[in-house]
Amino acid sequence: MNTFFLVTLADFRESVRAKWFLIYSLVFGGAVILLFVLGVTEARVMGFTGLSRLLITYIQLCVAILPILILISTVRSVVGDRESNILEYFLSMPISLGAYFWGKILSRFFLIFIPISAALLGAIVWGMVKSLAIPWQIAGYYAIFLGTLSWCFLGLGMVISTLVKKQEWGLGLSILIWLILLLFIDVILIGLMLQQQIKESVIVAVSLLNPIMVFRAGAVLLFDPELTSMGPASYVILDNMGYGGFLAFTILYPLSLGWLFAFLGFFRFKKGDLV
Amino acid sequence: MIKIKNLTKKFGKTPILDDINLTVKRSDRIALIGPNGAGKTTLIRTILGQYMFNGELAVFDKNPRRHRVEILDRIGYVPQLPPPIQMNVGELVTFSAGISRKSSIDTIYQKAAELGLDIGKNVKKPFQKLSGGMKQKLLIALALGRQPDILIMDEPAANLDPQGRQAFFLQLIRSMETTTMLLSSHRVDEIINLINRIVEIDYGRVVQDERIDQSRFADKMLACRVTLTKNHEAAIRMLEDWGFKIVNGGREFEGRFIGAERLRFLTSISHFANHIQKLNIK
Repeated sequence: MNTFFLVTLADFRESVRAKWFLIYSLVFGGAVILLFVLGVTEARVMGFTGLSRLLITYIQLCVAILPILILISTVRSVVGDRESNILEYFLSMPISLGAYFWGKILSRFFLIFIPISAALLGAIVWGMVKSLAIPWQIAGYYAIFLGTLSWCFLGLGMVISTLVKKQEWGLGLSILIWLILLLFIDVILIGLMLQQQIKESVIVAVSLLNPIMVFRAGAVLLFDPELTSMGPASYVILDNMGYGGFLAFTILYPLSLGWLFAFLGFFRFKKGDLV
Repeated sequence: MIKIKNLTKKFGKTPILDDINLTVKRSDRIALIGPNGAGKTTLIRTILGQYMFNGELAVFDKNPRRHRVEILDRIGYVPQLPPPIQMNVGELVTFSAGISRKSSIDTIYQKAAELGLDIGKNVKKPFQKLSGGMKQKLLIALALGRQPDILIMDEPAANLDPQGRQAFFLQLIRSMETTTMLLSSHRVDEIINLINRIVEIDYGRVVQDERIDQSRFADKMLACRVTLTKNHEAAIRMLEDWGFKIVNGGREFEGRFIGAERLRFLTSISHFANHIQKLNIK
């Protein structure tokens, strides 16, 4: 078998036994079950009910916790292996650095994406059992959005993991970045708007640099094509990009950012001391 | 096999390897010795292509950073401490056999069996759950299974029980003719029968590089006479363990040992250096 796939499989087997994966799977699987148990499908908010209502809540949950869970689990991959001497051992074997790094990324992507997509699929199956209307198109887009957001933060986690010398620094940096990105969704931007010192289009442009914001706005767009719930920002977004354009941007931007981070991480990994 | 010229490796501003010059030939079996922090592990990791460095380093005439896969396919490495791998034994064996051109699952099973480890019985066990000795045996079997041209081992016998140690040395003796060895160890006496060269590193520099002519001494019996300063109980017990007898009814002891064991004897007696008045080996 190709070395790349052997590394992917080996890392998958290693990680699937790790505690973080169990917690991660429980969080997302448990969240969907909890949403059903709490009767979210029965509630009506802004006209949404049933499975659509549940998906909105699930996406809101993902906005808040998916990036940090991905960062926490990924940021330890290279630096953690380095600290525990696993990296020293595996890299004494005839494995190319590309096969090691990209194999690890691919395995992590599967590990991250499987629980969240399984939770989404579980929700749909449950919805079918309960004879709820299934919003197939929205669920499909959600799966793609979750995939691209995961890829983006996976790349970010890997670049951090290659940059830091200790796991603690990586975790600290991850939490800091996550907090800044979360704050940029609302608090800081609202502050800037209130001061009215910066043009609205600039603020919207800055906010759209934030992949969490892009994910959230893209998810809202599926239910609310006019983005009315986003206020004046909707004019700037839809006037410049249109519905289809923004939908494509929601998919392509985090994906490109993820690749960019992943390549940066790979070059940093390749150029420095490996252990 | 390995050519090192003016090799320097710094962490920050601190040089860990300082202008190392070393040539390792095909027939070399080197004991890499030196105190903790001397730079032994750093040198090994640099040879394995894991560190950037200044100077020149060629393994099989190639740069280990640029040609790592080709080079590492011909090197077997056993680390000092078994890494905390989560995979089970079977998965690890399959992985190791899969990435190396010359390795196979059957060879690894066979090498492990020769070391006294039955992989078949432990195939589902997580590597982490194996005892220290079993882990070490498996790592040695994985390294030997690759049929390497160069074998690099960092304190290889540290976790092995006496039987495991004996089987391990027997394996190495069998590979002596075809494999270049670089064995890092604190106890030269343990590996003295295997090696033909001692390289000592201290403060990142090669402070001693000596060839041992095994053929001159290895199979010869050496006569030894030791005179102690006083009747030191532990020293007497050690001499008696080596088969020494009291002569002249007092603090003088006489005995014989095989040449291949001379360094092991000298290491044993060096613990009592303060109590030795006279030592004569012929």
